[in-house]
Amino acid sequence: MRITIPVAKVLAALLAEPDAERYGLDLMRMTGLPSGTLYPVLHRLRAAGWLAADWEAIDPVAAGRPARRYYRLTAEGVAEARRTLADLRAAIPDGRPSWGGAGPSEAPAW
Amino acid sequence: MVTRRAAEMLLAIAARRWPADLRDDLHREWDAEVHVLAASGRRTRMLGFAVSLAVSRAGSPLVDRAMMHRRARRTAAALLLAPLACIGIVVVSAVLMNVVFNWLLLPQVQLPLWSALTAGLAVLLAVSATRWARHTVLGGPLRIALGVVLPIGAALALAGYVLPAEGLARTVPGLLLWLAGLTLVLWAVAALAARGRVRAAWWLGLLGALVVADLAVILFVVGNIPGSGAVAAGSPPDTVDRISAPLWLFACWTDWNFGLPRPTRWEIFLITDQLLVEPMLYLACTPYALAYTIRAARSEPTAPVALAPAPSPV
Repeated sequence: MRITIPVAKVLAALLAEPDAERYGLDLMRMTGLPSGTLYPVLHRLRAAGWLAADWEAIDPVAAGRPARRYYRLTAEGVAEARRTLADLRAAIPDGRPSWGGAGPSEAPAW
Repeated sequence: MVTRRAAEMLLAIAARRWPADLRDDLHREWDAEVHVLAASGRRTRMLGFAVSLAVSRAGSPLVDRAMMHRRARRTAAALLLAPLACIGIVVVSAVLMNVVFNWLLLPQVQLPLWSALTAGLAVLLAVSATRWARHTVLGGPLRIALGVVLPIGAALALAGYVLPAEGLARTVPGLLLWLAGLTLVLWAVAALAARGRVRAAWWLGLLGALVVADLAVILFVVGNIPGSGAVAAGSPPDTVDRISAPLWLFACWTDWNFGLPRPTRWEIFLITDQLLVEPMLYLACTPYALAYTIRAARSEPTAPVALAPAPSPV
C-alpha cells in the first residue's frame, strides 16, 4: 500500500493504543486530518485488511443517538503499521517525523 | 436546525461520490458523527465535517493495475461482442421461426413468433449483460451510453457491409436516428440509475427505447412508401396512410393492427415487405442496452478493491 503522510498519521494514532476502538471524530482529533482526508484513508486501510470496523452495540432509541462506527487495527494491521512506521522513521534520521508519534529521545509509540 | 439540514444535504452529496456498495454505511456513519457534533453544540465543526467530505475526493481506490487491465479487457469484450450477439439473436430467431413455420404452415404466426423468439433471447442476453456490467470500467452516464451504443452502430455497419442486402442505404437514416435517440435515452437512464432511481430508469428506458424505435420505423416508412388517402375497392394502392404511424413498429413485430382500421392488412404487408429486419434488431438490442446501462451506472464509480468483511450493523 502507498504510504502517504495522512496514512502514516492514522497508523500512528491507531498504534498509540492498538486495542482501543476509535471513532472517526477521535481519529480526526488525534491526527488533525479533516474528514474528507480521513475517511478515504480509513477506506484504504480497511481494503488492505489492516483495519477492522464495527458498529457500536447500542440501542439507538434508548441512547438517543445513532450507533457510531469504530475502527481498530487488525493483528495484521498492527504488524504492518509497526513495520511501515519503523521504515519511515529509518528513512528520516533527523528530527521528528511529520506524521506525529514520539520524539527523538523517546521510545516510539508503536 | 438549518445547519443540521445543510450538513445532512452535504453528507448526501458526499455519499453519492463513493462506490454504491459503500454509500449507505458511510452515510450512516457520518450521520452518527454529525449527530454527536450537533448534540454537543459544535455547529461549526459539524458543518466543517460535512463540507470536507462533500468537497474532497472520494475514497481513492486501491488500484490493482493487473485487475484494472483485466476489467478493461472484459468491458471491451462485453461491449463489442454483445451487439454481435444481438445480430446473432435476430438470425437464430429467424431460422427457428422458419423451422416452426414449415412445421405449422401458419403464415399469420411468422412475425409474432420471430418477435417472441427474438425478445426471449434478447432478455437472456440482457441477464448476462447485467453480470458483465457489474465490473465495468466505464464511468459517467454519457460514457456508458456511448460505450453501449457505438459498438452497436459498428456491429450494424459491419453486418451491412458483410451481409448482402438490397436497399441497405434506404435504412441508414432510420438506423442513425435510432442510434442517436438510443444514446440520449441511455444517457438519461444512466443518470437516473446512478442516483439510485432504478425503477424510474427502467420505465424511462423502456418507454424511451420504444419511442425511438417507433420514430425510426416512421422515418423509414415516410421516406420510402408513399402516403395515401382512402383504400380503393379492388386492388389496393401501394401506399400507407400516415394516420397509423405510431402503430407501425408494433405492426412490424406482431403483423397485427390491434383491431384498428389502420394500418390495413395490405399496409402492414407493404411495410414489412420493405422493413423486416430493423424492428427485430431494435427488439434484440434494447434489453441488452438497458440492462447493461442501468447496472453499469449503479456500479460507478468503479470500486476495484475487495473490502475486508464489512461490519454488520447492530
